[in-house]
Amino acid sequence: MNTSVTSIKLVLLGEAAVGKSSIVLRFVSNDFAENKEPTIGAAFLTQRVTINEHTVKFEIWDTAGQERFASLAPMYYRNAQAALVVYDVTKPQSFIKARHWVKELHEQASKDIIIALVGNKIDVLQDGGERKVAKEEGEKLAEEKGLLFFETSAKTGENVNNVFLGIGEKIPLKKAEEQNNANEGESNNQRVDLNAANNGTSANSACSC
Amino acid sequence: MSFFDSLRQKAPFLDKLADSFAPTLTRDQKFRLKYKLPASENILEDTNAEVSFATSNGDGNKHSDMVSNKGRKTAYVYSGRLFLTPHFLVFRDAFDHSSCILILNISTIKRVERSPSESYEFALLVTLYTGAKVLIQFIGIRYRSEQFCSQLKSNLKENIPNAKNLPAFLETSYSEFLIAKNILGKKDIAVPRAGLGQHFKYPGNHTMAKEKAKLRLWFDYFKENGRNLAVVQTHMFRKLVRIGIPNRMRGEIWELCSGAMYMRYANAGEYEKILNDNTGKTSQAIDEIEKDLKRSLPEYSAYQTEEGIQRLRNVLTAYSWKNPDVGYCQAMNIVVAGFLIFMSEEQAFWCLCNLCDIYVPGYYSKTMYGTLLDQKVFESFVEDRMPVLWEYIVQHDIQLSVVSLPWFLSLFFTSMPLEYAVRIMDIFFMNGSITLFQVALAVLKINADDILQADDDGMFIAIIKHYFQTLGQSAHPDSSDIKYRQITRFQELLVTAFKEFSVITEEMAMQVRHKYEKGIFQNIETFMKRTQLRHMPRTFNLSSENLSNIYDMFYQSIETYKISMGTGSSNMGFEVFIQFLSKFCDSCRPCGKDSDPAFRKQKRNFLQRLFDNWDSAHIGELTLNDVVTGLDKLLTVDLLQAINYFFSLYDADDDGELHREEVLQLSEGLLLLTEPWKSGRYVDLLTKKHIEDDIAESIIKESGEEIITMNQIELPTGVTIDEEKYKAEQAERYLKAASNFLQRSFEYAKAIDLAEEINLIDLSDDEDEDEEKHTAKLKRMESIKANAALDPTHPKVIDLPTFRMIILADETYELFFSNTLRSSIHVDERININNKNKVFRSMFDGILADGKRVAEQVRRRVDSVATRNSITSAESTPTAAAGSATTKEEKYDDLDDFTSDHQSEHEELLQNSWFEIDDANENNANTMQERPFEPLSKNSTDKNSNLIEFEA
Repeated sequence: MNTSVTSIKLVLLGEAAVGKSSIVLRFVSNDFAENKEPTIGAAFLTQRVTINEHTVKFEIWDTAGQERFASLAPMYYRNAQAALVVYDVTKPQSFIKARHWVKELHEQASKDIIIALVGNKIDVLQDGGERKVAKEEGEKLAEEKGLLFFETSAKTGENVNNVFLGIGEKIPLKKAEEQNNANEGESNNQRVDLNAANNGTSANSACSC
Repeated sequence: MSFFDSLRQKAPFLDKLADSFAPTLTRDQKFRLKYKLPASENILEDTNAEVSFATSNGDGNKHSDMVSNKGRKTAYVYSGRLFLTPHFLVFRDAFDHSSCILILNISTIKRVERSPSESYEFALLVTLYTGAKVLIQFIGIRYRSEQFCSQLKSNLKENIPNAKNLPAFLETSYSEFLIAKNILGKKDIAVPRAGLGQHFKYPGNHTMAKEKAKLRLWFDYFKENGRNLAVVQTHMFRKLVRIGIPNRMRGEIWELCSGAMYMRYANAGEYEKILNDNTGKTSQAIDEIEKDLKRSLPEYSAYQTEEGIQRLRNVLTAYSWKNPDVGYCQAMNIVVAGFLIFMSEEQAFWCLCNLCDIYVPGYYSKTMYGTLLDQKVFESFVEDRMPVLWEYIVQHDIQLSVVSLPWFLSLFFTSMPLEYAVRIMDIFFMNGSITLFQVALAVLKINADDILQADDDGMFIAIIKHYFQTLGQSAHPDSSDIKYRQITRFQELLVTAFKEFSVITEEMAMQVRHKYEKGIFQNIETFMKRTQLRHMPRTFNLSSENLSNIYDMFYQSIETYKISMGTGSSNMGFEVFIQFLSKFCDSCRPCGKDSDPAFRKQKRNFLQRLFDNWDSAHIGELTLNDVVTGLDKLLTVDLLQAINYFFSLYDADDDGELHREEVLQLSEGLLLLTEPWKSGRYVDLLTKKHIEDDIAESIIKESGEEIITMNQIELPTGVTIDEEKYKAEQAERYLKAASNFLQRSFEYAKAIDLAEEINLIDLSDDEDEDEEKHTAKLKRMESIKANAALDPTHPKVIDLPTFRMIILADETYELFFSNTLRSSIHVDERININNKNKVFRSMFDGILADGKRVAEQVRRRVDSVATRNSITSAESTPTAAAGSATTKEEKYDDLDDFTSDHQSEHEELLQNSWFEIDDANENNANTMQERPFEPLSKNSTDKNSNLIEFEA
């Protein structure tokens, strides 16, 4: 097995209570919590997945959604290679906010950032809830701005993994090979973890390869 | 009383707070901050005094003991300073300012009497509602002591209405309940309404015995030293807080230490009132609160019930109404959820108020400047105290704030298990926000070895998370000493925080804050501007640079709005709107005519019309977007659009037709807008062209044929041009345009009664008419207009095509809409607010400042004139653009004379000089820009002040 790992710094943005943290929780722990405390500032989680026989480590920055926390966001999307801009398909206002985030990212974030637009909470529709943002609207915005587009339910897990897989496929893996030869000690925008350990929480820093 | 003797233990690390704030605070502010008193409490009197106390509980004979048998030393006497504020008596000892601090709300005073004293000249015996007595012996001159007493007396008198609230207030106090139950033996007394913990249990595994023992200690303390609104705080008080306040007492002690209790007492009923007054109202804050109610300490059982949720909702919404500048910020939900476990809604509400105002100002504000600033301060402390760790964090690009920001913002409530977080809060309320820094530093210090192994943010976060989850475990599990083994990690944390990091003081934090404040504010402002400009409505006539300038001028105008702090309304009211436009619109700049009430009224009328037109939400205020959209329309480069827009301003019912009254108002508006050109403060393109023509002519005349052969034409070294002439010509042209406009309006409307028209326009040609006659005439006009409007047979409208035609029929007005107006609105220039001269900066100066351009223009004229001259006769005089009848030959004498000598012969002219050209102009372009432009001489202004009077 190829031991090289591509690290992808990914940031989640979107209005408060659209389910950013829940999407991350579903992806990282395959879990769901009904009343999750709001994210204060930001949270950081990691997850590894194998895409096309290549291991990708997602370093996920989950940000606070409330408007006034927006001034902190640049701190977290700095150097991000990918972003999820999340909205709630039952809240039109959250879609407007999503547009704003896309605009900000295009202006301020890395030039080649890959953005996925994610309409969350589609489970609410199956439970009789009313959809307020048409799928076509999301698709249209995604097409205009060159974004990936998904509709998900963090609650049921529907489509969540596809979001991350979709992003993983878009990140050029070639870079990882180059980085494989790079000195690990160097501070690099795209961090490379040469450890084959299964999660990033171990305090092991030795390089065994 | 023996208590006081036993309490002189040292606890230096807790006395670091206070009297060490930034030097910008006043004495009163420092005083209030130190004792957490409400904003109304200024020091009225202060004096040196000796104070002793006697309790009433137990045997009731203490009074006589203390006063008359002083040889028996029944009371400990403290010497220190006594302060009197409108509602408080505050005493602090002189020894260490913390051995004995008495904070006494004067509502608790039942009686004040002069006490006979042998050793002191002057003493007061104050009896409290509990029966306890305070003996105050004044030190100092008699006169001052008397003054203090008389002030106290008058305060007590004024406070009588407040004092009536005392009994009801005491019923909400747990300390009173403790005393009543155990001393007075009232077994049936109701437990005061307190926090959710009463029914839903308090967090943590507290043995009942431990809780009871702690309560007993507090009971003893209250008995000896008083409680709630009349309490003496000693070192023992602080020690009791440090060992952890018993759950039942916690709410009251938090309230007392934070000063929220004084707020609650001083504002009885306000909390209920805020809730009632705002029932059913919605706001952005309310929506945000609703989203988070179920997401606030969800692990605590009460917050899975409607009761807990409702309390949380009440406190958060009440605060959002009380302080709309802050509204609601995520993390407040968690903090308040924490408060409500131990406090009633009202207690928690006032605690939140003082938290936001006194403890952590700016943390929850719209820009969160306080949070950002304190993160910076924290980083600076880490760098300073733990340089190795700091270097490691920087090297590994670890975001410290991802862990530390929630600590500060949610006061550790989201980070630590609840039972420990509330212990931190105990100390936080007593010692202030420096506590957060001390604990945060201690957390890093204790985990430093592990952190130095972490490669990235993920590992760093995991280390800290694990640490907080194991706070209850032994800090030294491998020690052979059992006592050592029993020390928990939490205890270790407290010791590290409050012993080792006691060197971190509030004063230091203030200094570091001061250092970074400017940078943080700057960053916030840049960010806000960038964000807002990004979400601007689409504009067709404004460049992004224009928008940036408009943004700056807009917010500079709203002085009450602090962008970086997020306080104040960001909307613009009408008065500010006037100021705003006067910064960059030539027509709206202050001018000499502003002293004329009629003119001022017209100006306001027009601006009000514009304001209402821009006010998209009809709220009587403009947002930045409104202003941008409005200016974009006003600045259209399309002539027809510009005319249409002006028409629509007056077409209130949007029916595409202007009624008679509206036409009159429109003409007034036009008059007003064109005033700066009519009065000669600015020149329009026609005049400019005219002047350039004249210069060219005069150069030709001077130089004859030779000049035609020259490739390069230099401007003459000194030119004075008869400014008055051009002014007069321009004024005349504008007046004529205005009168033509009225005439044509009525003519093409085919509506107006001829007699009336004559009346309206030919009311008088008297130039020196006085104010009174003028007003009378205006009135007469009003009635005529009213009559006309009432006349049903009277066709009374002009429509848009007609209006366009009328405008286009006049060269001056056509130019006004195609160029003059647009170029008089300077959204393209950065406005220097300190430049007082800017309002008079003349466009004309601009022409001349750019000497090269003038030279070129002149050369072009010369060429064309020369060509013309070669075709026709050399003596032909050019025709003036405005068709003025003044004799040109005479004026040309002036123009012909380019020598500087000539200037001295025209001193008056020079002073008023409309323009002058010399070599210096090229080098001093900026000076020229700022040169104030004198208004037209008084005579001609008066003469032309009212178009209606002008006869065509």
